[in-house]
Amino acid sequence: MAGVTPAEVRALAGLIDELDYYQLLEIPKDAPTSAVKRAYHAASRRLHPDANRRLAGEERELLEGVARRVCEAYQVLRDGRRRRAYDAQLGAGRGARLQLAEAEARAEREALEHHLGKTPHGRRFFNLARADLDRGDLSAAQRNLRTALTFEPGNHYFKRKLDEVLEAQRSAAQGR
Amino acid sequence: MAEIAVGIDLGTSNSCVAAARGKQVEVLTNAYGENVTASVVHFAKDGTVVVGNPARAALIHDPHHTVASAKRLIGRYSFSEEVKKARAVYSYEIVDGPGHSVRIKIREEQFSLSEIAAMVLREMKCVAERRLGREVTQAVITVPAYFNDNQRQATKDAGRIAGLEVLRLINEPTAAALAYGFGRGLAQRVAVYDLGGGTFDISILEIGQDVFEVLATCGDTYLGGDDFDDRVIDLLADEFVAKHGVNVRKDPFALEKLKFAAENAKRALSVDEEAEIRIPEIARNEAGEALTLEHTLNVREFSTLVGDLVQRTFKVCDEALAQAGLAPRDLDGVILVGGPTRLPLVREAVEGYFGQPPKTDVDPDEVVAKGAAIHAATLAGGTGEDAFLLDVTPLSLRIGVAGGLAETVIERNTPVPIEQTRSFTTYQDNQESVKIRVYQGESRKADENELLGQFEFGGLHKAPRGQVRIDVTFSINSDGLVNVTARDRDSGREASTTITLSSGLSAQEVDAIVAGKRTDRVATEAGPEAAREAAAATTPEVAGATPPEAAETAAPEPAVLDDADIEALLEADGIADAAAEPNALDPGLDGALASAPPEESLFEEGEFDLSDADTEDPVGSDPQDPVDSDPQDPVGS
Repeated sequence: MAGVTPAEVRALAGLIDELDYYQLLEIPKDAPTSAVKRAYHAASRRLHPDANRRLAGEERELLEGVARRVCEAYQVLRDGRRRRAYDAQLGAGRGARLQLAEAEARAEREALEHHLGKTPHGRRFFNLARADLDRGDLSAAQRNLRTALTFEPGNHYFKRKLDEVLEAQRSAAQGR
Repeated sequence: MAEIAVGIDLGTSNSCVAAARGKQVEVLTNAYGENVTASVVHFAKDGTVVVGNPARAALIHDPHHTVASAKRLIGRYSFSEEVKKARAVYSYEIVDGPGHSVRIKIREEQFSLSEIAAMVLREMKCVAERRLGREVTQAVITVPAYFNDNQRQATKDAGRIAGLEVLRLINEPTAAALAYGFGRGLAQRVAVYDLGGGTFDISILEIGQDVFEVLATCGDTYLGGDDFDDRVIDLLADEFVAKHGVNVRKDPFALEKLKFAAENAKRALSVDEEAEIRIPEIARNEAGEALTLEHTLNVREFSTLVGDLVQRTFKVCDEALAQAGLAPRDLDGVILVGGPTRLPLVREAVEGYFGQPPKTDVDPDEVVAKGAAIHAATLAGGTGEDAFLLDVTPLSLRIGVAGGLAETVIERNTPVPIEQTRSFTTYQDNQESVKIRVYQGESRKADENELLGQFEFGGLHKAPRGQVRIDVTFSINSDGLVNVTARDRDSGREASTTITLSSGLSAQEVDAIVAGKRTDRVATEAGPEAAREAAAATTPEVAGATPPEAAETAAPEPAVLDDADIEALLEADGIADAAAEPNALDPGLDGALASAPPEESLFEEGEFDLSDADTEDPVGSDPQDPVDSDPQDPVGS
């Protein structure tokens, strides 16, 4: 039967916070996705709790922790986007674990920030512009978007919205 | 002699038990020589309980004391859609239990759904014991892949009440794939299309020799063969009203006859082109003359009735394939599970969708129990050949935050076992405690998800808002069960809880039920005498034996924003208000968010620190909020 010895479990559990996901799955950093999958299967044969039924008590607890980390590693490395983020984190020496939920929540928040503005005034004028658009008042929306952009000149989303408004104004003019 | 552990497929309509010995996997037949036993429980007047086909027959003459399709209710809240529907459809009495749980009232007694399920499991245990000629105490029990934590916990409790050590809960489609691929050294990608009596699951698996990896699972716990029957019932009842002006739905006895006839007609259509339905004397007209219901149901009419239900399953299939990143042509095989997949109309639709005929070498009624038996044998001590099930969590795990929202902590289709930690801060100055609410589901709005449970994490040191940091760690084990730990980063103090089913039974309640031995009343083949004795012994005490309300089962609360919350959100004048009102975003913006995640900005600040922005995700919307859970709750223990 596959599996690991109690001594191996202890060693691995003691080391786990030092290991990055590549080391844990025993693959090179440039391993293709298919190799990640094979490594996950191989690690599961060794480290899955079902492969180690004779372990009990504390060693079983330790093994469960290792098994959870194996799944975590796989969840990150099998996905291109997460893997790039993780590689960037590793490269910058910021820890061997990627807290996915934190990372994704942050990404979402930043997306919102990006869309709704980073500064109070930028946000305020952008919200005014949105209200204008809801009423169908294109010229007011155009004015407010331009004002918002004076506070956040680098906000691409504001720019894109402004372009949309200008385009709408042009086609409205042509329609007339 | 080594223990024999069995595999039990606890189905909505029928259950099946199997045992594996070496490479031989055998379905264990009941006393009637049948491979499956009806998941119906009848409570006779003398207190004895009958499970299986005799109980199914009792549906017609004693519908008020006969419980069918209990699996549809297990682990549900009393206010859920499914329970509302069940109240209309079933003749037995469904009442509210503690913590918005559901209880079945039979005469003067109330039973939890776990107890009802335990009676079915006990019957299956006896079927196995009779066949194997020895005691059976260990089992692997299967659940729909899309079952949430509440439903899983309630099923596990049922196993315990039935006197079984539940070695593992495994997902039905995963079990089916195991039965299909075990010991064959396959390298295949397969879809398991599992249409049961009350649930639909689709799982996409990759089988690599001895490893069975679930790539994605999706499902619908509100869709199954029962719904097909309901369509037939509606047709027949409406037609009867039109013809005779009598509504047979109003008479529970007539309704049960109708259900019976509809189900039989459906089954007949698995083999024949048409089914004759005839129920003599189903009702009487005003003149007191007996009326007969007659209808010939043909395949085409049936297809029209249920076509949309079948199409609904493919929407779920689309979702699962998208999650797995695959197209139907990438699959090497399609495995069918569940009685309704015997219907030619379902088979043809499945073939059309996947572009290949489904595998015919698996029996849709038995394959799940067989897979469970194989896994049970592995877990109980070895078949000499191991198989590794690498499963996923079907539903996203979320934590409630201010504004009635729920943020994802573990995404759906994440491999299990898994653990994730998120940090939160306090929301108000000098906040002393936070309330941690745990949800499962796919909505950002808390109340659109299933509440798994909540607990109060108190004793925080006084500090301005945002200064106290709490790490909340969620873990999901191999059974798919959830555990949550909160940790105060400054003091290092921890509180943890295995999320106890909010609508179900506490550990003490399960103990009380086991001690009360009400399930011993099941009249098994082993001896009706014993059942009657048990009934006599347990019935009078039942009122007292009913476990007290568990204080710790906290009532779920709809995520209502109180005014203070809203004001605080507005004041924050930040992203929080936009995030709190996703509807305020125009659709274009929503679309942009979904399609263009700013991956390059993921880590630019180095740490996933929530406290640096004005966009904190506070836990515990209002510290003054009176705690509606027991102060002895897991917190601080």
